[in-house]
Formats: sequence, C-alpha cells, structure tokens
Amino acid sequence: MASDRPLSPHLQIWRWTPTMAASITHRATGVALYAGTILLSLWVFALAQGESAYAALAGFLGSPIGVFILFGYAWALLFHTLNGLRHLYWDMGRGLEVDQARLSAWLVFAASLILAILIVAGGLSAG
Amino acid sequence: MTHKGTSTFIAQRASAVALLFLVIWFLWTLSSHAGAGWEETLIWLAAPTGWAPMGLLIAIGAFHMRIGLNEIIDDYVNSGARGVLKLLNLFACLGAALIGLWSLFLIAA
Repeated sequence: MASDRPLSPHLQIWRWTPTMAASITHRATGVALYAGTILLSLWVFALAQGESAYAALAGFLGSPIGVFILFGYAWALLFHTLNGLRHLYWDMGRGLEVDQARLSAWLVFAASLILAILIVAGGLSAG
Repeated sequence: MTHKGTSTFIAQRASAVALLFLVIWFLWTLSSHAGAGWEETLIWLAAPTGWAPMGLLIAIGAFHMRIGLNEIIDDYVNSGARGVLKLLNLFACLGAALIGLWSLFLIAA
C-alpha cells in the first residue's frame, strides 16, 4: 500500500562520513589481509621449495599485476594497523569526540596511503 | 559463538597489540631486504632474527584473522551455513599457519 510517510533511512542514501568510511575500510582491509596472509605463507613455502619455485613467484610479484597486489597488500596492512591503533586508543576511552574521531579517520587514510606509496616505491627502486 | 564474547574481545585486542609490533618489524625488514634474491632471502629467514618474528607474524596473524572473519560471518550469515563457514574459516587459517610454519621450519633446520 502506497503511503506518503517517509521511508526509513536507506543504505544508499546515507551521506558518507570519514568515520563510517574508515569503519567499513577496516573490515574490507581485514578481509584483504586474510588473502595477504595466505600469500605470505605461500611466499615462505615457495622460498623453502627451492630457487625455481621462488623465482616463479618472485617473477609474478614483480610483474605489473604483482606490483599492484603488493601495493594493495602494503596499503591494507598499513591502514588496518593504523586504524587498529585508533581502535585501541578508543578502548582506553580516548579520542571518542566526533571531531577527534573524524580527524583521526582522515589521518589514517592519508598516512596509510603515503606510507604505502613510499614503501612500494622504495621496493621498486631497490629492484 | 555464544557466551564467549568477552574472551573473544580480549583475544582480538591482545593479538592486535602483538601484531602491531610484528607488522612494524615486517615492513621495516621487507624494506631493508627489497631486491634480495633466493639465496639471500633464505639466509635472512634461516636466522632466528628472521624465522622467529616471521613465524609469530604468521601464527598470530592467522589467529587474529580467524576471529575477524568469524565476526563478519556472524554479522551477515543468519542460517545453518554459519557453522560450516566458521569451520571452513578455521581450516583456512590453520592451513595458512601450518604451511607457513612448516616452511619456516624447513628453512631454519
């Protein structure tokens, strides 16, 4: 039955805020790091298997797709770690004011991106 | 998972603090070994200063990510599939940890 009454808030019409973006990104990077940890395990496995196995994986990780994956992994690791620090700070009952939480969300996004670019650029220049 | 909220909450934060230090080590050590070949990387991880933190990172990381994905399963799956998915999650985390730790053992031995 049609009604003139307003609909309840809908998932798609929320205005995005830095704090909610950081929250969902924390969860998304957590899932990405699940794959990242499996990749890390396989990397150690390839290393133990011998030079040709290691060379095959290292060759893939050195390709454009590989570098993209490594950049994603580095950024996810940095974001999840820095935002995890933010969560631990909240657990102490600090930084919970709206202004503070908004500022720390921006800081985590910016710092994780800058550090990821620096680390991957440094790795590329080292070969 | 019922009646386990508090212990899971504490376990996730305790492992987070451990991972904080291990991730700092990981990023620092990767930066300083970037571009290393197979043999050089092998020598690096065969030393206790290599395999010990790497083993802790993989083991505690697997522990932490199991709790995290269980949380997501609890949030979005509301049926009988929940138990199966959590079991698969356990196997995946155990598998990743065991492959990593066993490989480190082979490298260090």
